[in-house]
Amino acid sequence: MKRKLFPICYGTALVLFTAYISLDTFVLRTAYQTDTTQMNTAMFESLETTQPSSETSHHSRHEASALEAGTAPQTEAQTKTQTEAPTEALTASETRADAGDGQAQITMTEYYEYNTKIYVADVILPSVQALKTAFAEDTYGRNITAKTSEIAAAHNAVFAVNGDYYGAQECGCVIRNGIVYRDSKGTNDVLCIYADGTMQVVSPDDYTADELVNMGVWQAFSFGPGLLSDGQITVTRDQEVGKAMASNPRTAIGQISANHFIFVVSDGRTQESAGLSLYEMAAFMQSLGVTTAYSLDGGGSSTMYYNGQVVNNPTTGGRIKERGVSDIVYIG
Amino acid sequence: MCTLDRKLLRQILLHLGAAVWFAFFGAVYEHFSHEVYSYWMIYAFAFPLVLGALPYTVCMMKSYFPGERVIHRWNAAVLTWAVGSVFKGVLDIYGTTNSLLTIYPVAGGLLAAAALAILAFRKSPASPPVSAE
Repeated sequence: MKRKLFPICYGTALVLFTAYISLDTFVLRTAYQTDTTQMNTAMFESLETTQPSSETSHHSRHEASALEAGTAPQTEAQTKTQTEAPTEALTASETRADAGDGQAQITMTEYYEYNTKIYVADVILPSVQALKTAFAEDTYGRNITAKTSEIAAAHNAVFAVNGDYYGAQECGCVIRNGIVYRDSKGTNDVLCIYADGTMQVVSPDDYTADELVNMGVWQAFSFGPGLLSDGQITVTRDQEVGKAMASNPRTAIGQISANHFIFVVSDGRTQESAGLSLYEMAAFMQSLGVTTAYSLDGGGSSTMYYNGQVVNNPTTGGRIKERGVSDIVYIG
Repeated sequence: MCTLDRKLLRQILLHLGAAVWFAFFGAVYEHFSHEVYSYWMIYAFAFPLVLGALPYTVCMMKSYFPGERVIHRWNAAVLTWAVGSVFKGVLDIYGTTNSLLTIYPVAGGLLAAAALAILAFRKSPASPPVSAE
């Protein structure tokens, strides 16, 4: 028995540690900040006084290198002439929704491409201040989740999609509604949505979160990768998110021009819908005239909410069922 | 077959069994992971196979018994690395991270170092316990 003491004790310790790390990763809730409803709108005030033209301001500040390299962003008209015509839509509906300081125009359209049902929301905002984010239970932390539809309903959102599931990562920039929640450098591309209504994908090595806020970043996400830049596809045909293969449900956000956003959610993992690869998602968004696009959390998280209903078919554990996420992006 | 060979053969079979189990677990987990894969999950079986069964086979061929203390620590190291590999695979497939994961390779390394230190500094080759088998 004495000879077996070490294996028995160590085996027990290994099992207990593995049980603890499993709970720590998937179950134990850790709240880092409980009141996350406040917003930092200072960047909008400075915008009004210093930048009469939102279309050009962001590029002049952040894309000097691109301009120097001769890869200046295309205008909306230029891009549309260069991309394929959008696929024929299955259904379409348009809603004008109150977005606080003005009317947001939201046009919902369904497509069937790549053996997959794709849901597109074309959103034109009076100001990007109407594009907000929210955390599950209004709490920033780990393993704090709620369904996209629940978070959206709690914030009276007209429209919402899942965010980047920041809670599953321990690092990566998190800026929401102008406030920095996490400033640790990750490995994923960072999507920056600026107060002037433009968006840009930057490398995580380029800026700290505080620098981004000082540059006028209203929302920043760490998931990715970036799908389109200046209207060109920036992912390869076989590139994937982390260890994911081929086709999956996806959520992506894109932009046609300042304050004109395109949200795309695809079904997947069902007999009716195979799902999209990142390249297919990028190509589809390019066909819609999107110039900049970025992949948010996908898989079982992919959910689109509109007028009190989940419009897509989220899959969880092989069933059509919405699952909890850390955060959402919404219009309201 | 002498007692020494029987003890080593038991270790070889033990690690081969563990390799089969990890391979089976990885295959089943990957099957239900919606085409999300992780090399850490797929190749976790390599730890007991390469670092367990293989060295014990060499020991058996050379009729060298490393001693119970060495075997216990080495086996613990291999198990720790294999379990850590599977858990890293689980986190990869789920798409999350946990900094505590680094404890697995560190603990495995310390145990392996302890086993090698015992092996290096002992005065004479260990003999298998008389009471064994």
